Amino acid sequence: MSGRWWRIRPRTRRTELQLLVLVSVTLVVGAASLGATLRYQAALAADKTVGTLDLLPPDPRALAIYIGALFAVHAAFVLAGRRIDQVLMPAVGMLGGLGLLLMQRLPQSLVSQSFGDAVLGLGQLQLAWLLIALAVIAVLAVAVRSDAWLRTYKYTWAAAGIALLLLTFVFGSDVNGARLTLSIGPLSGQPSELLKVILVVFLAGYLSENRSLLADESTRIGPLRLPPIPYLAPMVAMWAIALGIVVVQRDLGAALLFFAVFLALLYVATGRPSYAVGGVILFVVGSWVLYNLFGHVQQRVDNWLDPFRNPLGSGFQTVQALYAFARGGILGVGLGAGLPTIGGRLPVPAVHTDYPLAALGEELGLIGLLAILGLYLVVVERGLRIAAAAHDDFRAILAAGLALVVAVQAFIIAAGNLKLIPLTGITLPLISYGGSSLLANALVIGLLLALSDPGVEPPPPPRPARRWLRRPGRRAARAGGVDAPAIGDAVLPGAGR
Amino acid sequence: MDGFVLTLWLVRILFLVLLYLFLFAVARVLLRDLRVAARGPVELGRLVVIASPHAEPPPGSTFPLDAVTSLGRDVNNAIVVDDPFASSEHAVLTFRGRAWYVEDLASTNGTFVNGVPVEQVAPLGFGDELQVGEVRFRLDRGRG
Repeated sequence: MSGRWWRIRPRTRRTELQLLVLVSVTLVVGAASLGATLRYQAALAADKTVGTLDLLPPDPRALAIYIGALFAVHAAFVLAGRRIDQVLMPAVGMLGGLGLLLMQRLPQSLVSQSFGDAVLGLGQLQLAWLLIALAVIAVLAVAVRSDAWLRTYKYTWAAAGIALLLLTFVFGSDVNGARLTLSIGPLSGQPSELLKVILVVFLAGYLSENRSLLADESTRIGPLRLPPIPYLAPMVAMWAIALGIVVVQRDLGAALLFFAVFLALLYVATGRPSYAVGGVILFVVGSWVLYNLFGHVQQRVDNWLDPFRNPLGSGFQTVQALYAFARGGILGVGLGAGLPTIGGRLPVPAVHTDYPLAALGEELGLIGLLAILGLYLVVVERGLRIAAAAHDDFRAILAAGLALVVAVQAFIIAAGNLKLIPLTGITLPLISYGGSSLLANALVIGLLLALSDPGVEPPPPPRPARRWLRRPGRRAARAGGVDAPAIGDAVLPGAGR
Repeated sequence: MDGFVLTLWLVRILFLVLLYLFLFAVARVLLRDLRVAARGPVELGRLVVIASPHAEPPPGSTFPLDAVTSLGRDVNNAIVVDDPFASSEHAVLTFRGRAWYVEDLASTNGTFVNGVPVEQVAPLGFGDELQVGEVRFRLDRGRG
């Protein structure tokens, strides 16, 4: 460890620096627009005339701190001298900055927490979480130089994940009918956010080790050709866990996310469309059964099919979000000019966690929404590029999985907000308010950055595959025959190690 | 008053334009990155020698792989494994579609993937270990 630090040479990262400058300029202009609009609206409401244009951001100090933190992370990367990806961090910084602007613009009393005398509102809390998330990204990207701790202990990670899930089942508290939140003392968090990272790590380890066996078709049930039965068990277990999350935790979003990521990774690892098709069939069957058995699933689907049947009751959120998108139109009404409250109530309930896209769609319009989706696309592209350049299967599947987790989550909530699929309450990655969500996504981004360094430690030799599936070798069959040892061939005793 | 609204509108539009400017800059970087990756020589994979008791091939050496690469003790093989336990024509590695496969050419002592004997043909993933005689290799992804 000791002789290591002096060998690190700083390495300039010009692309990242240029992109970060562009990010800061964009955020400053956005904040200026937000501040001016808010003052204009306030003056209109008070029936006063508006004097000169005042472009001061609503909370200039918070913005300065955030931009400063982005450049601090950049400086840390430069000093660490690793050849990590230069695009990912600015894209994430932009998404986080948009989230910060949105949280500064929503009513600050939505969430508040007091530390001693100081009471922090929504914007300040989001800033605090963003700073912690950036720190997590920087530490992971600089410090993680080997993936052995993920690769070797995959079953330990899986056990920890299941334990976390069970803890939430037993000790979790119900919020809006879903049992998601786990509180330990003053801290509370949503374990399912962390669980998605653990799931990807486990799947990467499991699939890379058993890739060839999963691509095998040795079992036949009628017309179906399946891989060896013992290797199917984890998949069926995965499906059961996803259903269990829906039944016990009532968390449709997490279940959908886990199952979709699982199927995508299975396809990435084996290259067999039949797995994906089989998984989708299982999903349809499971959904149909759940729809008929459980009221909360039925309600979600009914709201999706026809939210206007009960626009003031169960369909309220969906209807209001659709109105917000409609008000936004193509160019949007401008940051700060949307409807903050109607009669002291939020127009879209849970706008800061589940519906940030509705608020952004109203204020930035279709153009702004497409830009935000483009930012997610950039994150995914980088993840898949890192996967394609990875040295071995574990890293490739891990990087692809991390990117897909962000992509699938963004898709599920964006499509839910836009009434493309039934709404499932999960957060919009890197934009939504919430500590658990931001930290889990920071873990994802930090790991992706660490994996993008082509100089990460070479992978250790794989362990021999488990013996209990070894088919009787052809060694015995061969003994009498065709293959007489060529001259000079020595026979190796126990060559299999 | 009108000037005020107009300026506000311009600032709003400027914000959206800057968002797209950022995306445009990113897209340029990504395109450059993809071009560089596409231009480099395509190497399908490489074998790294992990252990070789008779130092032929020497441990740590790497062999870039062609779509069909033969291994064995005979000098006509692409990768010569000069090991007493290797057959003269021991095994052949082939790249089919998007994956590597190893075929055992009825060798005396067999070919092993991660310690499991290969029966005729077996898929070989990146990071997997291949044993020919007493020589152990690891299949790595190629550069570019």
